[in-house]
Amino acid sequence: MNVPAVATPEARFPQHRVPEISASGVPVSEVIADSADGERSIVAFLCRECAYSAADAAGNARTSLPPTIRTIMVPCTGRVSPLHLLAALAEGADGVYVGGCLEGQCHYREGNFHALDRVAFVRRLLESVGVEPERAAMFTMSAADTPRFVATARGMDATISRLPRLPRS
Amino acid sequence: MPLSARGRQVAGELRGATSGVSAGVLGCEVVRHDELCVGCGRCVSACPTGAMRQDDWFDPAQLFSAPAGTGRGALAAALRRIARHEPSGPFRVPDRIRTFRGILFSADLCAGCGACVRACPTGAVEALPVPVGDVEVAPRGLAPAGAGR
Ligand code: SF4
Ligand code: SF4
Repeated sequence: MNVPAVATPEARFPQHRVPEISASGVPVSEVIADSADGERSIVAFLCRECAYSAADAAGNARTSLPPTIRTIMVPCTGRVSPLHLLAALAEGADGVYVGGCLEGQCHYREGNFHALDRVAFVRRLLESVGVEPERAAMFTMSAADTPRFVATARGMDATISRLPRLPRS
Repeated sequence: MPLSARGRQVAGELRGATSGVSAGVLGCEVVRHDELCVGCGRCVSACPTGAMRQDDWFDPAQLFSAPAGTGRGALAAALRRIARHEPSGPFRVPDRIRTFRGILFSADLCAGCGACVRACPTGAVEALPVPVGDVEVAPRGLAPAGAGR
């Protein structure tokens, strides 16, 4: 097997697409694009240690998920910055949410608490410019709690489908 | 702005404090450029008098004035695309958000030491020299001339 001497972050986390989103404005649109035109989309930033595993299990069990949900794996929800959430909304998502570990069970100790406050900050920011704060949310769950992942995904889908499409300039 | 009130008081308490010191070293006028501020709080930690303080509130209007090409500029650009109106004013910031906070500057507490200016990584705090007539200036090694103000 051909393993590089020093694994780059990309090599270690091949599915980790966050830098593409943040750095140069390269589109979350790539993530969002596979929805048909005119369809809503919701970008979910899922922690590798918990929510993403739960999502994976849901996929393996062939549970039906709302077609609006687009997932992005992050190493920890503490990695998700306000810019990630706002960039996703600006690039075409109608809603964003962060799926993290249960309170007190973050693998990096406090990442999910940071994420909770960043989501709260983004909601206040949205509110201050007249955008519905419900478009950003955070849910916590354990890796084994596939039913909760499915329920939160459906809940978010229901919330967003009650709102108008997000206009952007 | 001449030497601040607090600066004058310090200068008065330290006898000979101004001798051998040119205008602008003890006592500078501090001007903040909030559009460049990234909220790191270094000026707050550096300030010996408490004239720079970190607020619990954040005004999104500050984001919109950030220069393009910076992190805050990118955040503002994203927000501007979905904004329905101009930001409606400051809001309280959650506890763990450390950088998106307003920095309050109280000119009357400021001693004009310039520590904040040296600490700021973005040039958001500027030190302007106090006009020479406002400070006692004496050449190093000589007794104060007693003139000045
Ligand atoms: S000049 Fe000195 S006293 Fe005045 S705000 Fe800066 S650090 Fe504080
Ligand atoms: S040091 Fe400069 S950038 Fe940091 S909070 Fe103070 S003014 Fe803002």
